Amino acid sequence: MSNLDIILQQLANGLILGSFYSLVALGYTMVYGIIKLLNFAHGDIYMVGAFIGFSILSVVSGILGDGWTGIVATMALSMIAVGFIGVIIQRIAYRPMLQAPRLSILITALAVSLILYNLVMSITDGEFKAFTVGLGYEGISMGEVYITFTQMVLVSATAVLMTILHLFINKTMYGKAMRAISIDQDACRLMGIDVNRVIAVTFFVGSALAAAAGVMAGVYYGSIHFFMGFVIGLKAFTAAVMGGIGSIPGAMLGGLILGLLESFGTQIPFIGSEWKDVFAFGILILLLVFKPTGLLGRTEIERM
Amino acid sequence: MRKVFSVCLILAGLFMVMSNAAFATDELKIGIMVPTTGSEATYGKDMENAILLAVSEINAKGGIAGKTIVTVTADDACDPQQAAAAASKLVSENVNAVVGGYCSGATLPTLKIYGDAGIPIVLTAANSTKLVSANPGNTFLVNSTGDDQAITAVNLFKQKGVKKLAVIHQGDGYSEDLAKLTEKKGKEAGIEIVAMEVVNKGEQDHSALVTRLKSKSPDAVFWTAYYADGALVIKQLRQNGYMKLIAVGDGSNSPKLMEIAGKAAEGVFCFSNPTVEYLPSAKAFGENYKKKFNQEPGPYSALSYDGMNLLADAIKRAGSADKAAIVKALKATKDFNGIAGPIVFTPENKLARSNFVVLVAKGANWELNK
Amino acid sequence: MTTDTLVSRTTGILGLIETHQKTLLVLFLAILIGIPAYANNYVLEVLANTWFYVILCLGLNIVVGYAGLLDLGYAAFFAVGAYTTGILTSRFGFNFWLTIPVAMAFATLAGVIIGGPTLRLRSDYLAIVTLGFGEIVRIAARNLKITGGASGLIGIDRPHFFGTELNQISHYYFVFLALALLAIFASYRLQHSRLGRAWQYVREDEDAAEAMGINRVAIKLYAYIIGAVFAGIAGCFYAAKMTAISPETFTFSQSILILLGVVFGGMGKIPGVVCGAGALVLFPEVFRGIGSMRLLVFAVVMLLVMLYRPQGIWPAQKS
Repeated sequence: MSNLDIILQQLANGLILGSFYSLVALGYTMVYGIIKLLNFAHGDIYMVGAFIGFSILSVVSGILGDGWTGIVATMALSMIAVGFIGVIIQRIAYRPMLQAPRLSILITALAVSLILYNLVMSITDGEFKAFTVGLGYEGISMGEVYITFTQMVLVSATAVLMTILHLFINKTMYGKAMRAISIDQDACRLMGIDVNRVIAVTFFVGSALAAAAGVMAGVYYGSIHFFMGFVIGLKAFTAAVMGGIGSIPGAMLGGLILGLLESFGTQIPFIGSEWKDVFAFGILILLLVFKPTGLLGRTEIERM
Repeated sequence: MRKVFSVCLILAGLFMVMSNAAFATDELKIGIMVPTTGSEATYGKDMENAILLAVSEINAKGGIAGKTIVTVTADDACDPQQAAAAASKLVSENVNAVVGGYCSGATLPTLKIYGDAGIPIVLTAANSTKLVSANPGNTFLVNSTGDDQAITAVNLFKQKGVKKLAVIHQGDGYSEDLAKLTEKKGKEAGIEIVAMEVVNKGEQDHSALVTRLKSKSPDAVFWTAYYADGALVIKQLRQNGYMKLIAVGDGSNSPKLMEIAGKAAEGVFCFSNPTVEYLPSAKAFGENYKKKFNQEPGPYSALSYDGMNLLADAIKRAGSADKAAIVKALKATKDFNGIAGPIVFTPENKLARSNFVVLVAKGANWELNK
Repeated sequence: MTTDTLVSRTTGILGLIETHQKTLLVLFLAILIGIPAYANNYVLEVLANTWFYVILCLGLNIVVGYAGLLDLGYAAFFAVGAYTTGILTSRFGFNFWLTIPVAMAFATLAGVIIGGPTLRLRSDYLAIVTLGFGEIVRIAARNLKITGGASGLIGIDRPHFFGTELNQISHYYFVFLALALLAIFASYRLQHSRLGRAWQYVREDEDAAEAMGINRVAIKLYAYIIGAVFAGIAGCFYAAKMTAISPETFTFSQSILILLGVVFGGMGKIPGVVCGAGALVLFPEVFRGIGSMRLLVFAVVMLLVMLYRPQGIWPAQKS
């Protein structure tokens, strides 16, 4: 492989990985923006999304086949189902804790994450599930650079979802209310905004996006398991912080940058792949310590 | 503070009740140490079943010198701390010998516990080379260790004309051990190791790693870890146009590899310890196992069955249930023929021959490579 | 029995306990010391493990319960202690007892490295940073040569105590019991010290505390360091007891397990934390069948505790 081939291939790899990070990072940033909660469970929502997609696909593929029609239908249904799971979690676990100290709500989020993780582990007996769909490896090749059609569709799907989200946030009443609540919750309440409802909608949208990413991961990688959410949850959080937590364009940007950093990071000589995660965590820690507002975030002075 | 005492008093009382375990019988007590909970529980149960089958056959024939065998199972959960508790449990149950051991990492700290109590242990799956160096003298490995597998692997690579080899492991004791041993043996055989990479457990996207590997143009890629992540690596290698030889270690010997990797797995080589379907002499065992447990034997069932029978044979030869005598008899094992082949130990108490076979993926199954 | 009589009986018993507190304490200690004479190895192993988790949970309690900082990488400090002992004894021929002060120094250093730059961060960022540090320590232990790589260190020497080699489980029962009692005593003294009150003040109202002249970063750092030293010492003895250590013991789930013990019993309450630690170890032993669901059960309990009883299972102090 020539150097140009390597650069192009790693660029493609980074963009695909980055789209997954972006989709998951959006959920972190939206929830953080509106109720200042670091939702530890978000990575597990992504994992639950993949498993719900798996179950739905096994039914849907009988009717619509396991090609793109079946996959799109599965994705839509999973997004709705997981969106409601997100709302239920918010209603049961987070809403009663909104006025509680920071430490308590963080531990609550951690508990929710552990419950989802261990529940799926018990249900699936810790086994891997093969996510079989009828997609081939066809694609285009330029020299030694390979890009499959599936990869192209996934990146486009991410772009479409993000555009819809952008329109939702900027053009609808709910979007406006979300932005208002993130600035001043009490004032919104006084202005007659149903704050709890808007928070619920935020959770719905964030969880649905994570589910979309989960189903896409299942389709693309072909296997799902109960701990698939842990690593991506951390990485997506890094992406959200990198872009500036609370900022929606920031999450999209942060995801893509992290994806590219990771894929080009593997090309660094002398540092083997065994240090890859140290590299990712190192970036996160340095960012949090030196630039906690990220690239597009607002400066905010706050104490726990 | 005062309430804690009342609670603890009750707890302490409970322990006193729990702790009066005294058995004096003319039975032979064999401990089975396998993971029956946790992520490796499936393998542990396959091993336990095989051992129980062996025990019921021995007892049906009148036991050993008139003594019937009773078993106690202790769950090590594939975790070093729980394994230490499991080993202590077996020691306090006064077992005459122990058979089992799946996860090398969890088995390691138990060797000393058994060693201090003088209890012989036959390891039927765990095969890290560290077990050999940590052996206090009472441990016997009936599964070939990683260096045997590395030799089998390097022989295949030589035969296929591989000059540049890439090795990928998963950062756990077992797969790292195998990767390092292969690196060593490969270099000795004149194969250049162009890459030694690690994939973290549970990660899904390996495309960046695949691109890096491809840029070093290896003639073969050897995945030393388990099937679940291995399937993804294989799939992404093939998807990105790597069409040369791929081989996997015995941890990947599962039809699930083909299920996840699909047609990308076709033609992948696998080094495996002898499993039931490739052993002509294990036919009866396979049928009896299916009849008794209503499922197929697992990858370590045959070796576990042999391990238990070997132990019974050694006790018979020792002529007593004395632990030291059993150790001595195990060491002197000469012409024991198990369903997975004959067992003879080296001075280090490990299997004297390599029992690895080479398999190749054909469709949805593994077949013996000819 | 009506509720009234139950209450009066309970208060009666409590009153009795109160009046004979010292006697009961001595009696209870006598029972704990006497157990090895009657119990078998298995019970001793489980109990030694319980005392071990008591030390770890009390150490984390200083960080989470007293100072109110969420630490998701506590296993890293435990790893520092275990690896210090392991490396120094097996590779450099150190005497076990000499490794303890070295491990304490390294644990302090680790506490300063992790705490120093990060304690000014918001609590949720701090949680993620500690998680990241925990993973970095584990990955470093897995990749470095000196730590024995992924298979870890084996053949760590057993320590000698006045000429006796500590190689029986009953020895470790006493070692960990003594350490646990020491940890309880230290926690108790810390809680009622000037530092303990400063922690409480910062936890309740950080700005007011600072206005009163408390250096909040410094006292948070003290919490980190003391917590780290607890885990470091526990780690030294863990290495001696197991004789083999590997990175898989120091994972994120280990950190979570310890945190669960702290939250379950009640953050900041010593008897509560002791019971939480006990529950962690005893649960999988008592409920073998659902032992693998230990974390699920604990997570559900943790959620319920946070929602309905944020002060933990242990009753609140009356004073």
